[in-house]
Parts: sequence; C-alpha cells; structure tokens
Amino acid sequence: MKAGLNLIEASELLANNETSSVELTKIYLDNINKGQVLNCYNTVSSEEALKEAESSDKRRKEKKSKSKFDGIPIGIKDLFCTKNIKTTASSKILSSFVPTYESTASQSCINAGLISLGKLNCDEFAMGSTNKTSYFGSVINPWKSKNSDANLVPGGSSGGSAAAVAADLCIASLGTDTGGSIRQPASFTGTVGLKPTYGRVSRWGIVAFASSLDQAGPITKTVEDSAALFEIISGHDSKDSTSSIKQNENFYDNLNSSVKGMKIGVPKEFKSDDLPASTQKAWDDCKKLLQENGAELIDISLPHTMDALPTYYIIAPAEASSNLARYDGVKYGIRENGKNLIEMYEETRSIGFGDEVKRRILIGTYVLSSGYYDAYYIKAQKVRSLIKSDFNEAFKRVDAILTPSTPSTAFEIENEPKDPVQTYLNDIFTVPVNLAGIPAISVPFANDENNLPIGLQLITNSFEEQKLLNIAKNVQDTINYTPNLDKWWIK
Amino acid sequence: MEFDKDSLLKLGKLSKIKIDENKLSSLSIDLGSILKFIDRLQSIETDNVDPTSNSLDQSLVMRDDIALDENSATEILENAPEKELDFFSVPKVIE
Repeated sequence: MKAGLNLIEASELLANNETSSVELTKIYLDNINKGQVLNCYNTVSSEEALKEAESSDKRRKEKKSKSKFDGIPIGIKDLFCTKNIKTTASSKILSSFVPTYESTASQSCINAGLISLGKLNCDEFAMGSTNKTSYFGSVINPWKSKNSDANLVPGGSSGGSAAAVAADLCIASLGTDTGGSIRQPASFTGTVGLKPTYGRVSRWGIVAFASSLDQAGPITKTVEDSAALFEIISGHDSKDSTSSIKQNENFYDNLNSSVKGMKIGVPKEFKSDDLPASTQKAWDDCKKLLQENGAELIDISLPHTMDALPTYYIIAPAEASSNLARYDGVKYGIRENGKNLIEMYEETRSIGFGDEVKRRILIGTYVLSSGYYDAYYIKAQKVRSLIKSDFNEAFKRVDAILTPSTPSTAFEIENEPKDPVQTYLNDIFTVPVNLAGIPAISVPFANDENNLPIGLQLITNSFEEQKLLNIAKNVQDTINYTPNLDKWWIK
Repeated sequence: MEFDKDSLLKLGKLSKIKIDENKLSSLSIDLGSILKFIDRLQSIETDNVDPTSNSLDQSLVMRDDIALDENSATEILENAPEKELDFFSVPKVIE
C-alpha cells in the first residue's frame, strides 16, 4: 500500500476491500512507534484504537458502516477531552486528568467511525507558536532545512497535529486555532489547515483558552480531506451556547474548484520588506495563478491589521486568566501542598503552569484589574470592532482575501527569540482572522530555497467555508504541490 | 521597559501564582515588553466605537431544560487530587 494516504484515498481502499481498518490502524501505530523522536503524541491509545478498528471492520462486513470514513485512523490534539483517555492540554497541571466525558467535536469523529490513535502534543493550553511550551517537550518538525541537520519547530499551538499528518503518524487530525494555531503549523509542515467561522464547530469539551476566539478545525493532507473532516465536526451543538444555529452543509460533495469571475483581495498592509523573498514570490505566483484561472485581483486595505496583534495580546490573556482560574489543585489535576488553602492554590499554580502560561495569566489579570480594565480590555474590544469592520468593508468588494500564512518558514528550535513579543509576531497574519471570527485556510504552495514549505492563507466572510474550500482546491489542483518529505527519522 | 516588581508580586497574589524570587527579574522584563507592545493601542481613536466581545452575530442559544443523568459524583471525584467521602478535600480554612 502506498505510504502517506489521505482520508479520501483511505476511504476508497476500505470501500474496495483493499485494506481493513485493523490493517490501516496497525500501519499507523507502527509509524507512530518509528516516529517517536518527533514527539507528536502525548498519549498513544493503541489498545482502544485496535479494538475500535475491529468493530469498524465488523460494521463494514455487515454493511453497517457509520460513514464512508468509518475505520480511518486520525489523531486528536490533546486539548479535546476524550472519555477515559488522558487529556493534558500539554500542561503539568492537567498531567493526570482523565475526562469523564467526550468533547462534541471528537464525539462527531467517533460517530463517523473514525479511529483515534491518540492525543497530539501541543503548546501548553494552546499558548504558543512553536510547540516549545509543552510540558512534554517540543514536537520536532518532520521537515529539515536542506543545508542543516538542526531540528525545526513545527509551529504551534497545534504542532503535534500538523507534524503527525505531515509525517504520516495519522491520516488527518483535529487542531484548534485561537490566533493561528491551526494555520501556522500547517504552513510550517506543508499541510492544509482550516480555521472555521467562530461557532461552526462546538467548543464543548475543548479545554478553554480564549473562549471568544477558540475554534476547532481539521489539519489534513489535502483540501478535499479538509472539507470532509470539517463536514464531520461542524454543526450546531446545544451544549455550546455560542454554537452557530446555521444548517450544516455538504462541504465535500459541493466542492467546485472554479474561481471564474471571483474577486480576490490583496491587502496592502500585509506587504512588508521583512517578508522573505521566497514567501513574497509564492504570494505573487498565487495571485498570477488565480488570475490565469479566471479570478480578478483587487487591491484592498485592512487599515487595522497591525493593531490586531496587540489587541489579541489583551483579549486572549484576559479570557485565559479567567478560564484558567479553575486549575486550583482541588477538582482535578495535580496539587502541591501549602500551609493553608491560599498557599496551596499559589504553590499548585506556580508548579503546575509553565512560564508562557504564567505570563499570559499575569498579563490577563493586569488588563482586567480595577483601574486598567477600561484602558486595556475595553479599548482592545473597541479596536476589535474596527478590525472586524475592516473585513466587513473588504468583503463588500471581494469574495476572498489572499495573504501569506506566516511571515517566515519553520525556524530552528534553538533559535526562538528571548523576548516573548518577538515570538508573538509569528501570528501577525493569522490573528486578525480570529478577532473577526471569520474562516481562513492555509494551503501549502511551494518550498523555499531551503526546501521548507510555504503556506498561503485564504480568508472569506463568515460562514463562507464552501467558497474558501473551493478556491483552496483551485490553488491546490493548479500547482499540484507534492511535499517530497525525506523521512530521516526512519533511517 | 520593566514592570515594577512590587506590582508584579501583587499581580501574582491576585492570580494565585507564587512568583519565585529568582524569576522576578526576568518576568518583569518580559511583562514590561508585552505591556509596551499592547500600549500601542492607546493611540487609536475609538471614541464612537462599540466594543466587540464576541464575533458571532447571533444571540446565545439556550438549550431545553432537561435533566440528564451523566457525570456522576463518583466519576468526577476520581480526578480529585484529594477527597474524603463524597467530597473534594482542601486544607483547613477555619482556624
């Protein structure tokens, strides 16, 4: 069987009885075993996966498959609560937590018959763009620069989810995106990452980071897979009061890659002299490609683009400081003893949280504290309105917006800047989308001069994921990007 | 720009995070850098702008008030670091 199957190929093999779910699951468990050095998984649930695979094969034999994807092994970011399977958010404070319930998104995967191989490493509480903040250590990007043996970051926070798909340690995966945590790692690993409209995928049972920005989505090898997995996990959920009541759509069946007559916006604020030449070239080539395929390019302006990152670093920490107040050593997770209750809280949280999480809780507490609330928090919410209104104005003129996904390709793990603000700049192109609540996708477009993947970002208006996926498919089908990833860890 | 160390200790108290003496200095530099970064927003004119707390243009959806039998106390307590009988247990609060 060919290596590196995608979701659609695997479903065809299963349908034609050319493989079984047990066989597929074993292959991928073996891949995980061989790829341990990449540190993609926090927990591998081999026994449960094989048991589920047997049930899936039985269902298929009896013509009772739950969906055409029944029996396909996937990975799930360790931020989704999974019943009876440890869920840590890659944090020491939750390192012993075994949920008693299943998140709605992962339950939807179970309902479609997908098999979970385990829980994928990520930045602690999804806070980071390098996967270095994980208590369980960095995920290593399967890609290496052609002139160096140094390990590279896979991006973050869904670094394990992206690296595992790129390295064939699962066929597809679930990630979450609060400021770019699906799109940035997808861009760094040559995979497709979709951040849906806020409210499309239920947040119920996902460890909360910044509730008004968090959104789950698929990381896959292809746009078709993205549409298929997105279709599975989206839809209204009465357990999440911010879940959209919009009718679910058949995103996969309705894929249509024509861009004839579409208007594609190119925002001038994303242009920068700091952009690597290869990223600029990929962006220019994609504009040309879309034009050749019948789309019209339109210069647009999103005037508050550069204000998005500071806005995000007020709103996200504020919501995080509130959401993470629940980790106090009482109900779940670890406890560090103290002389009294308050000391127990302080010791537990001091030992249980890593440095980046602590920084964000402290900043969040600061911007919400009396005397600063209006100056920071309310101010940021007002700027958020301006950012949202920039997009609203743009979408009066264009169908979609095209930008680079990230300001650079993957960088060395050891080369992360000391100043946290420098690391935050990784998300400069992705964060505005979360603040506006609109959908965006990162599609691999080319490799740079060091043979590292470059991703481009497409953005549409709220609930226009079909259009987004269609344009992404057009780009994918025209360039026919093949990763050619050297599996150095197997040698 | 450094974040004032006394304010940092107070913030630690408010956040219930003990700040180690040996991390005080680096943390105050980090937070100072973040504050300088987010302070950029102060120059933006927002007098007639309404704040956005959530991007979804939809009222919160209420679910039907139906009792469900799930998440039993026994199950939930299995994750508690310390418990007594059917309760979470914490250090003594009343002297």
